[in-house]
Amino acid sequence: MEESEDVPKDFIKLKSEKLSVDEVSELVVSPYCGAVSLFIGTTRNNFEGKKVINLEYEAYTSMAETEMKKICRDVRQKWPSVKHIAVHHRLGVVPITEASVIIAVSSPHRAESLEAVMYCIDTLKASVPIWKKEIYEDEYSWKENKECFWANSEK
Amino acid sequence: RLSPGRRRRRGPAAEGSSPRDGGSMRCQVSVLYFARSAELAGLRCETLSVPREITSLQLWEEIVKVHPRLAIIRDQVVFAVRQEYVLLGDQLLVLQPGDEVAIIPPISGG
Repeated sequence: MEESEDVPKDFIKLKSEKLSVDEVSELVVSPYCGAVSLFIGTTRNNFEGKKVINLEYEAYTSMAETEMKKICRDVRQKWPSVKHIAVHHRLGVVPITEASVIIAVSSPHRAESLEAVMYCIDTLKASVPIWKKEIYEDEYSWKENKECFWANSEK
Repeated sequence: RLSPGRRRRRGPAAEGSSPRDGGSMRCQVSVLYFARSAELAGLRCETLSVPREITSLQLWEEIVKVHPRLAIIRDQVVFAVRQEYVLLGDQLLVLQPGDEVAIIPPISGG
Protein backbone atom coordinates (compact mmCIF):
# COMPACT_ATOMS: atom_id res chain seq x y z
CA MET A 1 0.00 0.00 0.00
CA GLU A 2 1.06 3.62 -0.43
CA GLU A 3 2.26 5.28 2.77
CA SER A 4 -0.55 7.80 2.40
CA GLU A 5 -3.02 4.92 2.71
CA ASP A 6 -1.39 3.64 5.91
CA VAL A 7 -3.22 6.19 8.06
CA PRO A 8 -2.14 6.19 11.72
CA LYS A 9 -4.72 4.44 13.85
CA ASP A 10 -5.51 4.04 17.54
CA PHE A 11 -6.99 0.73 18.67
CA ILE A 12 -8.53 1.00 22.12
CA LYS A 13 -10.46 -1.84 23.67
CA LEU A 14 -11.83 -2.80 27.09
CA LYS A 15 -12.99 -6.41 27.13
CA SER A 16 -13.68 -9.25 29.50
CA GLU A 17 -12.24 -11.99 27.30
CA LYS A 18 -8.62 -13.11 27.46
CA LEU A 19 -6.24 -10.67 25.75
CA SER A 20 -4.11 -11.81 22.83
CA VAL A 21 -0.57 -10.61 22.25
CA ASP A 22 -0.75 -11.81 18.64
CA GLU A 23 -3.94 -9.89 18.00
CA VAL A 24 -2.66 -6.65 19.54
CA SER A 25 0.71 -6.79 17.73
CA GLU A 26 -0.93 -7.50 14.40
CA LEU A 27 -3.13 -4.42 14.81
CA VAL A 28 -0.10 -2.10 14.77
CA VAL A 29 2.13 -3.83 12.23
CA SER A 30 2.86 -1.62 9.21
CA PRO A 31 5.04 -2.12 6.15
CA TYR A 32 6.47 1.36 6.85
CA CYS A 33 7.55 0.50 10.38
CA GLY A 34 10.65 -1.36 11.39
CA ALA A 35 9.65 -1.56 15.03
CA VAL A 36 6.72 -2.80 17.07
CA SER A 37 7.19 -2.30 20.81
CA LEU A 38 5.03 -4.12 23.27
CA PHE A 39 4.14 -4.00 26.98
CA ILE A 40 2.20 -6.78 28.69
CA GLY A 41 0.93 -6.21 32.24
CA THR A 42 0.44 -9.57 33.94
CA THR A 43 -1.16 -10.42 37.26
CA ARG A 44 1.03 -11.53 40.15
CA ASN A 45 0.06 -14.26 42.60
CA ASN A 46 1.28 -12.55 45.76
CA PHE A 47 1.27 -9.24 47.53
CA GLU A 48 3.11 -8.57 50.85
CA GLY A 49 3.24 -12.26 51.61
CA LYS A 50 -0.46 -12.82 50.97
CA LYS A 51 -1.57 -15.26 48.32
CA VAL A 52 -3.67 -13.65 45.60
CA ILE A 53 -6.51 -15.96 44.59
CA ASN A 54 -8.05 -13.74 41.93
CA LEU A 55 -8.12 -10.27 40.48
CA GLU A 56 -11.12 -8.30 39.33
CA TYR A 57 -11.07 -5.14 37.27
CA GLU A 58 -13.85 -2.62 36.84
CA ALA A 59 -13.91 0.58 34.82
CA TYR A 60 -15.81 3.79 34.20
CA THR A 61 -15.80 2.57 30.63
CA SER A 62 -16.83 5.66 28.68
CA MET A 63 -14.35 7.87 30.52
CA ALA A 64 -11.62 5.21 30.41
CA GLU A 65 -11.90 5.11 26.63
CA THR A 66 -11.80 8.91 26.46
CA GLU A 67 -8.69 9.04 28.65
CA MET A 68 -7.02 6.32 26.58
CA LYS A 69 -7.71 8.34 23.43
CA LYS A 70 -6.12 11.37 25.11
CA ILE A 71 -3.02 9.28 25.81
CA CYS A 72 -2.82 8.29 22.14
CA ARG A 73 -3.17 11.93 21.12
CA ASP A 74 -0.35 12.90 23.50
CA VAL A 75 1.86 10.11 22.16
CA ARG A 76 1.42 11.39 18.62
CA GLN A 77 2.32 14.91 19.70
CA LYS A 78 5.47 13.78 21.51
CA TRP A 79 6.57 11.16 18.96
CA PRO A 80 5.19 12.24 15.58
CA SER A 81 6.74 9.29 13.78
CA VAL A 82 4.62 6.78 15.72
CA LYS A 83 2.32 4.94 13.34
CA HIS A 84 -0.26 2.80 15.14
CA ILE A 85 -1.11 2.46 18.82
CA ALA A 86 -3.11 -0.34 20.42
CA VAL A 87 -4.18 -0.44 24.08
CA HIS A 88 -6.25 -3.41 25.21
CA HIS A 89 -7.30 -3.67 28.86
CA ARG A 90 -9.15 -6.58 30.38
CA LEU A 91 -12.11 -6.15 32.73
CA GLY A 92 -13.82 -8.55 35.10
CA VAL A 93 -12.01 -11.54 36.57
CA VAL A 94 -8.41 -11.98 35.39
CA PRO A 95 -6.75 -15.24 36.47
CA ILE A 96 -3.19 -15.11 37.82
CA THR A 97 -0.45 -14.80 35.16
CA GLU A 98 -2.89 -13.74 32.48
CA ALA A 99 -2.50 -10.32 30.90
CA SER A 100 -4.52 -7.43 32.28
CA VAL A 101 -3.21 -4.94 29.74
CA ILE A 102 -1.35 -5.09 26.42
CA ILE A 103 0.05 -1.99 24.74
CA ALA A 104 1.62 -2.08 21.27
CA VAL A 105 3.11 0.81 19.28
CA SER A 106 4.71 0.81 15.84
CA SER A 107 7.20 3.31 14.45
CA PRO A 108 9.77 3.38 11.65
CA HIS A 109 12.67 3.14 14.14
CA ARG A 110 12.69 1.55 17.56
CA ALA A 111 13.45 4.48 19.91
CA GLU A 112 10.08 6.19 19.44
CA SER A 113 7.89 3.12 19.91
CA LEU A 114 9.86 1.97 22.97
CA GLU A 115 9.50 5.39 24.59
CA ALA A 116 5.86 5.70 23.57
CA VAL A 117 4.95 2.34 25.11
CA MET A 118 6.48 3.37 28.42
CA TYR A 119 4.63 6.68 28.30
CA CYS A 120 1.36 4.86 27.60
CA ILE A 121 1.54 2.52 30.56
CA ASP A 122 2.84 5.19 32.95
CA THR A 123 0.07 7.61 31.96
CA LEU A 124 -2.62 4.91 31.95
CA LYS A 125 -1.74 4.13 35.56
CA ALA A 126 -2.02 7.80 36.48
CA SER A 127 -5.18 8.79 34.64
CA VAL A 128 -7.46 6.04 33.33
CA PRO A 129 -10.46 5.26 35.60
CA ILE A 130 -9.97 1.52 36.02
CA TRP A 131 -9.85 -0.24 39.42
CA LYS A 132 -8.29 -3.53 40.47
CA LYS A 133 -9.47 -5.63 43.39
CA GLU A 134 -7.07 -8.26 44.72
CA ILE A 135 -8.81 -11.18 46.38
CA TYR A 136 -6.79 -13.08 49.00
CA GLU A 137 -7.76 -16.13 51.00
CA ASP A 138 -9.45 -14.27 53.85
CA GLU A 139 -9.93 -10.73 52.57
CA TYR A 140 -9.67 -8.45 49.57
CA SER A 141 -8.10 -5.11 48.79
CA TRP A 142 -8.74 -2.33 46.30
CA LYS A 143 -5.33 -1.49 44.89
CA GLU A 144 -4.07 2.07 44.42
CA ASN A 145 -1.47 2.98 41.82
CA LYS A 146 1.38 5.06 43.20
CA GLU A 147 0.98 7.17 40.06
CA CYS A 148 -2.52 8.18 41.21
CA PHE A 149 -2.14 11.63 42.74
CA TRP A 150 -5.24 11.37 44.92
CA ALA A 151 -4.26 8.13 46.63
CA ASN A 152 -2.91 8.28 50.18
CA SER A 153 0.73 7.30 50.12
CA GLU A 154 0.71 5.91 53.64
CA LYS A 155 -1.43 2.82 54.35
CA ARG B 1 -30.61 42.04 11.30
CA LEU B 2 -32.31 41.77 14.71
CA SER B 3 -33.35 45.03 16.28
CA PRO B 4 -31.98 45.65 19.75
CA GLY B 5 -35.40 45.04 21.30
CA ARG B 6 -35.70 41.53 19.89
CA ARG B 7 -34.20 38.59 21.78
CA ARG B 8 -34.01 34.90 20.98
CA ARG B 9 -36.65 32.73 22.63
CA ARG B 10 -35.28 31.17 25.80
CA GLY B 11 -36.56 27.97 27.42
CA PRO B 12 -38.42 27.85 30.76
CA ALA B 13 -35.30 26.85 32.69
CA ALA B 14 -33.58 30.10 31.82
CA GLU B 15 -36.53 32.43 32.21
CA GLY B 16 -36.38 34.52 35.31
CA SER B 17 -32.94 33.27 36.31
CA SER B 18 -29.98 35.47 36.98
CA PRO B 19 -26.35 34.42 37.43
CA ARG B 20 -26.70 34.85 41.21
CA ASP B 21 -29.78 32.63 41.37
CA GLY B 22 -27.98 29.40 40.48
CA GLY B 23 -27.71 28.24 44.07
CA SER B 24 -31.46 28.07 44.56
CA MET B 25 -32.08 26.20 41.33
CA ARG B 26 -31.56 22.47 41.38
CA CYS B 27 -31.16 19.87 38.68
CA GLN B 28 -31.07 16.10 38.38
CA VAL B 29 -27.64 14.63 37.85
CA SER B 30 -26.56 10.99 37.38
CA VAL B 31 -24.20 9.99 40.17
CA LEU B 32 -21.97 7.00 39.43
CA TYR B 33 -20.17 5.02 42.11
CA PHE B 34 -17.10 2.85 41.51
CA ALA B 35 -14.93 0.41 43.44
CA ARG B 36 -14.87 1.14 47.18
CA SER B 37 -17.36 3.98 46.87
CA ALA B 38 -19.90 1.60 45.26
CA GLU B 39 -19.44 -0.82 48.15
CA LEU B 40 -19.93 1.93 50.73
CA ALA B 41 -22.92 3.51 48.98
CA GLY B 42 -24.45 0.11 48.20
CA LEU B 43 -25.21 1.00 44.61
CA ARG B 44 -23.57 1.86 41.31
CA CYS B 45 -25.71 4.70 40.02
CA GLU B 46 -28.62 6.92 40.89
CA THR B 47 -30.21 10.24 40.03
CA LEU B 48 -29.86 12.97 42.64
CA SER B 49 -31.24 16.48 42.76
CA VAL B 50 -28.48 18.95 43.57
CA PRO B 51 -28.01 22.72 43.29
CA ARG B 52 -27.02 23.72 39.77
CA GLU B 53 -24.18 25.92 40.99
CA ILE B 54 -22.22 24.29 43.76
CA THR B 55 -18.62 23.83 44.80
CA SER B 56 -17.15 20.37 44.42
CA LEU B 57 -16.86 20.07 48.20
CA GLN B 58 -20.51 21.05 48.67
CA LEU B 59 -21.48 18.46 46.07
CA TRP B 60 -19.56 15.82 48.05
CA GLU B 61 -21.44 16.86 51.19
CA GLU B 62 -24.79 16.54 49.39
CA ILE B 63 -23.88 13.01 48.37
CA VAL B 64 -22.65 12.07 51.86
CA LYS B 65 -26.01 13.21 53.28
CA VAL B 66 -27.60 10.48 51.18
CA HIS B 67 -24.84 7.89 51.86
CA PRO B 68 -23.14 8.69 55.19
CA ARG B 69 -20.83 5.67 54.92
CA LEU B 70 -18.96 7.45 52.13
CA ALA B 71 -17.54 9.95 54.63
CA ILE B 72 -14.57 7.72 55.43
CA ILE B 73 -13.12 7.97 51.91
CA ARG B 74 -13.41 11.75 51.60
CA ASP B 75 -9.63 12.26 51.57
CA GLN B 76 -9.03 9.69 48.88
CA VAL B 77 -11.54 10.51 46.19
CA VAL B 78 -11.93 12.94 43.34
CA PHE B 79 -14.95 13.56 41.16
CA ALA B 80 -15.28 13.19 37.43
CA VAL B 81 -17.85 15.76 36.27
CA ARG B 82 -18.80 15.36 32.61
CA GLN B 83 -15.74 13.06 32.46
CA GLU B 84 -13.23 15.65 33.67
CA TYR B 85 -11.47 15.10 36.99
CA VAL B 86 -12.34 17.63 39.71
CA LEU B 87 -10.74 17.77 43.16
CA LEU B 88 -12.98 18.15 46.20
CA GLY B 89 -12.68 21.80 47.12
CA ASP B 90 -13.69 25.30 46.15
CA GLN B 91 -14.02 24.73 42.44
CA LEU B 92 -17.43 26.03 41.35
CA LEU B 93 -19.37 23.59 39.23
CA VAL B 94 -22.19 24.66 36.92
CA LEU B 95 -24.27 21.54 36.47
CA GLN B 96 -26.75 20.77 33.70
CA PRO B 97 -29.66 18.33 33.96
CA GLY B 98 -28.46 14.83 33.13
CA ASP B 99 -24.78 15.56 33.83
CA GLU B 100 -22.72 12.57 34.93
CA VAL B 101 -20.92 12.96 38.22
CA ALA B 102 -18.71 10.02 39.16
CA ILE B 103 -17.03 9.27 42.49
CA ILE B 104 -13.47 8.24 41.66
CA PRO B 105 -11.50 6.35 44.34
CA PRO B 106 -7.75 5.90 43.75
CA ILE B 107 -7.28 4.16 40.41
CA SER B 108 -5.40 0.95 39.76
CA GLY B 109 -5.52 0.17 36.06
CA GLY B 110 -2.70 -1.33 34.06
